[in-house]
Amino acid sequence: MMDGSSPTHTDPASKPAIDPDRIRWILATDCGSTTTKAILIEKVGNEYRQTQRGEAPTTVEEPFADVTVGVVNALTEIGELAGRRFIDDAGNIIRPATETEGCDIYISTSSAGGGLQMMVAGVVAQMTAASAKRAALGAGAIVMDTIAANDKRKPHEQIQRIRELRPDMVLISGGTDGGNTHQVIQIAELIAPAKPRPRFGGEYHLPIIFAGNRDAAPRIREIFRDGFDLAVVDNLRPVLEQENLGPARDKIHDVFLEHVMAHAPGYDKLISWADAPIMPTPGAVGDILQRIAERDRINAVGVDIGGATTDVFSVFGGVFNRTVSANLGMSYSISNVCAEATMPKVLRWVHLDMDERELRNRVKNKMIRPTTIPQTLEALVFEQAVSREALRLAYLQHKEFATTLKGVQQQRTVGDLFAQGSASHSIVDNMKLDLLVASGGVLSHAPRMEQTAAMLIDAFEPEGFTTLAKDSIFMMPHLGVLASVHPRAAMEVFERDCLILLGTCIAAKGHGRPGKPCFAYRFTPSVGAALAGEMHVGDLKLIRLTEGQTAEAEIVPDRHFDVGAGPGKPVRRTIRGGTVGIILDARGRPLELPEDRADCRARMTRWVADLELYP
Amino acid sequence: MRAPIVRFALVSCAMLVVGAVRTHAAPPPPVEASAHDLPWDDGTAIEITWRAPESATNIAGYRVYRLLSTEEQKRALRDRRVAAADVAWKAAYESNTSASDRIELATAAATAAAERAGAEGMPDEVAVGTAAANALRYVAAPVESGRAIAFRVRSFDADGNESPAAEAGSAAATIEIFLGTRAWFFPLLIGLCAIIIGCILLARAGRPIKVRRIAGLDAIDEAVGRATEMGRPVLYIAGVQDMDNVQTVAGVTILGRVAKIAAEYDAKIEVPTARSLVMTAARDVVQTAYFEAGRHDAYNPDTIRYITDEQFGYVAYVAGRMVREKPATCIYMGQFYAESLLLSENGNAINAIQIAGTAESSQLPFFVAACDYTLIGEEFFAASAYLAGEPTQLGSLFGQDVSKLIAMVVIVAGVILSTLGGLGLSMPKAASDYLANSILAS
Amino acid sequence: MAKAYTPGLKVTARTLHRVRRSLPVAGEVTVRVGDRVEATQVVARTYTDGEIMPVNLANLLGVPAGDVPALMLKRAGDEVRAGETVARSRGIFGMMRKDAVSPSGGTIESISEATGQMILRGPQQPVEVLAYMPGRVIDVLPREGALIENEVMLVQGIFGIGGEAFGPIRMACDRPDMRLEASMITTEMRGAVVVGGARMTADAIRRAKEVGASAVISGGIDDQDLRDFLGYDLGVAITGSERVGLTFIITEGFGDIAMATRTHDLLASHVGQEASVNGSTQIRAGVLRPEIMVALGDGAERAGAHRVETGGELSIGTAVRVIRDPHFGRIGAVTALPHEPAVLGSGSKARVLEVRLEGGESVVVPRANVELIEE
Repeated sequence: MMDGSSPTHTDPASKPAIDPDRIRWILATDCGSTTTKAILIEKVGNEYRQTQRGEAPTTVEEPFADVTVGVVNALTEIGELAGRRFIDDAGNIIRPATETEGCDIYISTSSAGGGLQMMVAGVVAQMTAASAKRAALGAGAIVMDTIAANDKRKPHEQIQRIRELRPDMVLISGGTDGGNTHQVIQIAELIAPAKPRPRFGGEYHLPIIFAGNRDAAPRIREIFRDGFDLAVVDNLRPVLEQENLGPARDKIHDVFLEHVMAHAPGYDKLISWADAPIMPTPGAVGDILQRIAERDRINAVGVDIGGATTDVFSVFGGVFNRTVSANLGMSYSISNVCAEATMPKVLRWVHLDMDERELRNRVKNKMIRPTTIPQTLEALVFEQAVSREALRLAYLQHKEFATTLKGVQQQRTVGDLFAQGSASHSIVDNMKLDLLVASGGVLSHAPRMEQTAAMLIDAFEPEGFTTLAKDSIFMMPHLGVLASVHPRAAMEVFERDCLILLGTCIAAKGHGRPGKPCFAYRFTPSVGAALAGEMHVGDLKLIRLTEGQTAEAEIVPDRHFDVGAGPGKPVRRTIRGGTVGIILDARGRPLELPEDRADCRARMTRWVADLELYP
Repeated sequence: MRAPIVRFALVSCAMLVVGAVRTHAAPPPPVEASAHDLPWDDGTAIEITWRAPESATNIAGYRVYRLLSTEEQKRALRDRRVAAADVAWKAAYESNTSASDRIELATAAATAAAERAGAEGMPDEVAVGTAAANALRYVAAPVESGRAIAFRVRSFDADGNESPAAEAGSAAATIEIFLGTRAWFFPLLIGLCAIIIGCILLARAGRPIKVRRIAGLDAIDEAVGRATEMGRPVLYIAGVQDMDNVQTVAGVTILGRVAKIAAEYDAKIEVPTARSLVMTAARDVVQTAYFEAGRHDAYNPDTIRYITDEQFGYVAYVAGRMVREKPATCIYMGQFYAESLLLSENGNAINAIQIAGTAESSQLPFFVAACDYTLIGEEFFAASAYLAGEPTQLGSLFGQDVSKLIAMVVIVAGVILSTLGGLGLSMPKAASDYLANSILAS
Repeated sequence: MAKAYTPGLKVTARTLHRVRRSLPVAGEVTVRVGDRVEATQVVARTYTDGEIMPVNLANLLGVPAGDVPALMLKRAGDEVRAGETVARSRGIFGMMRKDAVSPSGGTIESISEATGQMILRGPQQPVEVLAYMPGRVIDVLPREGALIENEVMLVQGIFGIGGEAFGPIRMACDRPDMRLEASMITTEMRGAVVVGGARMTADAIRRAKEVGASAVISGGIDDQDLRDFLGYDLGVAITGSERVGLTFIITEGFGDIAMATRTHDLLASHVGQEASVNGSTQIRAGVLRPEIMVALGDGAERAGAHRVETGGELSIGTAVRVIRDPHFGRIGAVTALPHEPAVLGSGSKARVLEVRLEGGESVVVPRANVELIEE
């Protein structure tokens, strides 16, 4: 749905043109809400490698109120580690690089101060409003609320809500070109008198982007004449059969830089430093994932699980989607995960005996003291169980959101008489998924990589062949921006340093009685002896295949199971090893665990042993 | 009465003389013949029963005769005289072409023929049917209700020789409250009612009843949404029949749902009707839906209007309206005939999302081909239960499905029995006959 | 990292505290710099815009949207009462006119010829901001509010429910490890800030609500009791706007946990004095903790009194509280701060410290799992 256009939209002419071949030193920062993370990319020999990293607390709030202080601190730390000076005495980045000091490119992303917070509006929640939401999410925004004519709220409730929210900007869409004007104007007439106040400063005019029916634009201009900063771009849905998110997304980035960033403390300086427009962190992550998927012609899913939210990115068939599950996270929102998933669902992933009432108190204690880390094994097991549920729910929301367009005419033949499916369906298909990338504390800081892989498999339930990877130090945002100025460097670093390959998961889709044959396998690794065997329903098996190694895999499923070619059809493929190896999953899809607690624990205990998850 | 017997005797004698080989005496008559009213009937049948004569070996069957009343005899005599006279008159008239008094001649011949026919005497009985040798019962039907009618029975042998008559007496057919042949109907009715009521009670007690997804109904949201985004109306056609047609009723029920969504989305809905009564009903339903959605100020009765009863006049209006207004969504729910394709092709041409629903099987293929979604027969009727999600309706839907399942089982069993019967097995044959003639005939 | 920055909760006998009291929208400030204010005194007041209600006149009149402005009997800016006729259709030759009446009272904000809607704004709602803390106004934010300063005893809790409340402190538990039971709450505690000890039971909260206590403070609460009392499971720790009839604050955490002795003693030393309590909690970037404060009589600015800054540095001897199982809630002093990360029981590597707990037992815990107890 996203057009895949590059997000370089502001004119970089003011900066000296970059000659990609002469670049040796690249600095990148990501200003998060609590920490500013910096990485250094160096040209080592003929290839680019990420060599150093540093971090410092973000300094957007008092007493510093200048984001560049944190950036300078982080870069200074990198400089110390690399033995090279990047910051001059005046506190500026030294550029261009000389033999001994400075860097060639500096870029940054930002999610400080809660990132880019938007409110979107459209006419029908499932159509133009959904497109508006996709545009905003794709640009890396947090969508605070979606106002639509059919959101079941009374106009005064909508107004109340608009007033309570303090968005950084508002995106209004609605109507096809030449279509509905009435309700588009009606929504604008609700927003204008409600006068939502922006988060930063009283003098700041709230930016409004209108990407709806062009026939309504003149009237919209009139409504938002005073006290607002209106930009009109091409319709998101010129006709219902087509979605055109590019112009609105680019405009969001522009407005983010010109208005939102410019009003945040220190950002004017940061913008002047950077060689590429500063992007919202999730937008940059989406960009790099899209590029990788496009280059390798694969379908990929990325997930970033944080303390408060979980972001899911997906690229299927070249179509990019992003969702933010606002209240699914591992610290601030941990209690919400348990409430939404329910405790029994969380506990099904736990092989130890735990007291539910006691756990509830622990969950709440983690919620009120979000920075604590699990000290005992028991606490770790529980936290990872919660993360499985958080990821599962976030992925579920993502699947529901990432659908084909709604409101499109269907063509049918008499042959469809009894098989009239619903028109719109999720484009997320686990069987077609090739690469699953994990990032976020609980996933990337798990003591054992096996745990990360197990969490991914249990939560996402990949089918067929899926490569599992994790973002080593959450470098994807930096690389997303870098890709817009120096794609080669970004790709090389992404391949070599950013992703840590965990291995490949091979899972059969289907159901069977435990113990019945599921599939037979045969692996011929590039180094070492061939390996063959059979998996039974309910089995889980780990075969070590170290990073850099590949193997020829041949899987022959039982006739009730599918590993990609259809039920019972064998598949041959070359698979990649990783720090974990090959995980063979014959538990069936969709994954079902026994309802009975004792039964479930027994099974989990076996799986824990199979994958060598815990000591 | 004597004459036929004489004739019969003469014929018999002649056969005896000529044939000489087949010298069989007439079979013995049946015994204990009696006629009585057939119980549990609608008063149009009399049952005659008898027993086989003892030591009778040559009986090929029984023939049942009804005794004629005097009136009937007189009428029969008159008919015979008239017929004889007609024949004679015609013959005489045509043979005397040259005679000048041919009319007088013919008249005289006719009179004579009538006299002859009258003189022959009159039969006092008429055969009403035969029964096989092993059947000792015959039901005479239809007979005049409430009048005493007398019967007699004769046996006959393979050569057609009839025995003397056994008088069965007379009986009058009377109407009973219940019809015996429909006796199976009662347990079936009770059974099916019990199933449906049971299912309703189950549903009310909170047992979840799952109705499979009906894509066409789920698509209504999307279709109305499309109309909203495009700023165009939703066109709703509730068929071309009046409110006494169950499909129209179903169509108007679904209209309520569509109107509620339209009210929520603030989309315009247009309902042209082919019957004035449908218009009134539709206005009622749509107004209620707007109230339920809390949008009473958005309800406009003028968009629901009566066009004409004339089938093609109506179609011409709707098709014209479609081309001019280009509704984004067209919904057809009700009874349709020739207009099905006329309307849906028009809708397709203007790129509308179309949802159709009808139980008219001959029109379904057209709808399926031209529309995005089609509700087929039962789905269409199940729609209100599906949409309302109310336990009573869901339970009744479930009960009906169980009943249908039973019917399917009976059909399959019948087919199997019948097949086995056809292979010459007697038990299955009897069972299938009983199923077909007694249980299902009810 | 040269510094080990660790969050902590403020429990202090005397501090110079400043509160910023401001209106959500511009209004009128009713105090002047230098004024002495009481806790429940209004410092700023305004009226918020009334509710907005769109009325579709085009449909009510049965006319095209564009005709609506011409048919209006009232103009934008006019006041209307509920039931008052605001527009009338022309009808046919002046016959069969239709009237549109206003469904509620208010001011006509605008009339749209594009949608045929009249936007009606309801009557204004007054909004008042109280001083919350007795003290002296040290600055006035024009049209917005005021800064109030005073010396206070300040206790921060870890989590609370309900908004601002006021009342005299009454002790229900003599010892910090006593469970707060319903029987300890008496009718004299009406309007009071009730201080318990360890876990507060669900019955105790209910009882406190019955007798009309304005706030309850204790060491902990069971999650199940909280859920029963609220009627829903709390997902994220953003509270303050609940309407549950009283404010309650836990000072330590969830579960059966005793209030820190210091906290209990401090509150006990102010029995009978008027306290200002706020249960609002926000655990996000820009954390907000619930608080209990008692203004200290003279209110004179004293040298040495400092602004509240939570968090500080860890060093040998620092008093800390362990805030995660297995030693959850225990208090001790730091005895060693090893530089190298250590492997935890969970298998993770993290930087740790050694604490001698109150019982004399010495344990190793991750640095992330302690919080400073501030003086």
